[in-house]
Amino acid sequence: MQQREEKQLEASLESLHSRVSHLKASLQSFILKLEHEHDRLSWPSVLDNFALLSGQLNTINKVLKNEKTPSYRSQVIIPLLLSPDRDEELLRLTEQRVPVFSHEIVPDHLRTKPDPEVEEQEKHLSAEAARIGPEVAQKLIQTLNKLCSNLLEKLNNPRDDRDSEASALRQSKPSFNPADTNALVAAVGFGKGLSKCRPPVSVPPGHPGQPMMSTGPTLQQVTIAGTTGHQAGMGGQGTQQQPGQPGKMPSSIKTNIKSASASMHPYNR
Amino acid sequence: MEAPPVTVMPVTGGAINMMEYLLQGSVLDQALESLLHRLRGLCDNMEPESFADHELVFLLKGQQGNPFMLRARRSLLHPTAPWHLRYLGQPEVGDKSRHALVRNCVDVAASHSLPEFLNEMGFRMDHEFVAKGQVFRKGAMKVVVSKLLRVLASGNTENTEPLSLSYLVELSVLAPAGQDTVSEDMRSFAEQLKPLLHLEKIDPKRLM
Repeated sequence: MQQREEKQLEASLESLHSRVSHLKASLQSFILKLEHEHDRLSWPSVLDNFALLSGQLNTINKVLKNEKTPSYRSQVIIPLLLSPDRDEELLRLTEQRVPVFSHEIVPDHLRTKPDPEVEEQEKHLSAEAARIGPEVAQKLIQTLNKLCSNLLEKLNNPRDDRDSEASALRQSKPSFNPADTNALVAAVGFGKGLSKCRPPVSVPPGHPGQPMMSTGPTLQQVTIAGTTGHQAGMGGQGTQQQPGQPGKMPSSIKTNIKSASASMHPYNR
Repeated sequence: MEAPPVTVMPVTGGAINMMEYLLQGSVLDQALESLLHRLRGLCDNMEPESFADHELVFLLKGQQGNPFMLRARRSLLHPTAPWHLRYLGQPEVGDKSRHALVRNCVDVAASHSLPEFLNEMGFRMDHEFVAKGQVFRKGAMKVVVSKLLRVLASGNTENTEPLSLSYLVELSVLAPAGQDTVSEDMRSFAEQLKPLLHLEKIDPKRLM
């Protein structure tokens, strides 16, 4: 009878130990990743790591809840021999972390009381639970269950339902204005709306609402089209004065810039 | 005075001809925050870089053809940094299935005497604007979210007004000519930003 219990204890300790070492390894790799590759990380891979950790914590929980595991609370660890000498065996077992099984190590490693903060929180929680009474607690449990099932239903429903809802939402709040896109691209591309011959009607800053925006660029469009057409027509002549740039004499210096082609290279090989 | 086509450009000292692959879109001011959050999540994990640049566009009007355009840009946040001179060619009219706008791109740094130098060469400043915003990076792709501001008094960058109620968003990659996988990557990245923002190939000639 006792042997069976001992065997059970050993087996459960083994499995717990292996799960915890898996968790430790994945935590280590995650920390290394965060430290060394943090500028190349993407959110999906971070999520993967978190999912892995949560899965491992889950298995540890399952191992602890398993009926075959004896209650660890009934087990007591008593140090039989404390010595200030270095213990090689202990070093090997603990991966070089605990060199000496002495008076300073024992209270930390063999303690069974949780951290003071954790103890405080547990006390709060149990006081809270005692305070609200069983009926209120039952009602809270029911609302939580209902919320979870609602959420699950929403997530499991076919995609079409979700998409139609989402597209309705999208239409009410457009996040970009195609007319604006065109105006900005034209401004960056060839200075529409920016050149010195600006129309007197400029877009009033901070004006709310969209209808105003669409008329703004079109007004500018009309005026600029007039001037660019004029300028393009004059490209061939190059000696007349351009409108909208008063006071600028056309340069009579005819610059003759030729591209440096291979044939003109002075130092021919 | 048109620059000669890409194929007969002289190969000077091992410089490769770089092409700029470009996708553009805009986002309204009120949607800017969500866009920035999304970009921070999607792009490389680094503090987004803010910039405030003053860009002057110089034109050289020759006797024939289209005027030759050069863009000179200086940072308002780092006044001692060198100027950045950029030439952007005409967009390549390749197959219509290419997803991004491709054009030849030459970038050089220049000293602070750049505007005077260009004036001496015969260039005249056509227009200028101030762009303020942030830069994000994902691998080789660069996402620039900028507010374009019109300069009200020439040369005075303090007195500016916004050009529109939107921010301009540009996704660009600088790559040597001929790499078409780049536009595929850009398109899949642009997909991730929908429906907040539609990045697309906008032909500037269409808007003239």
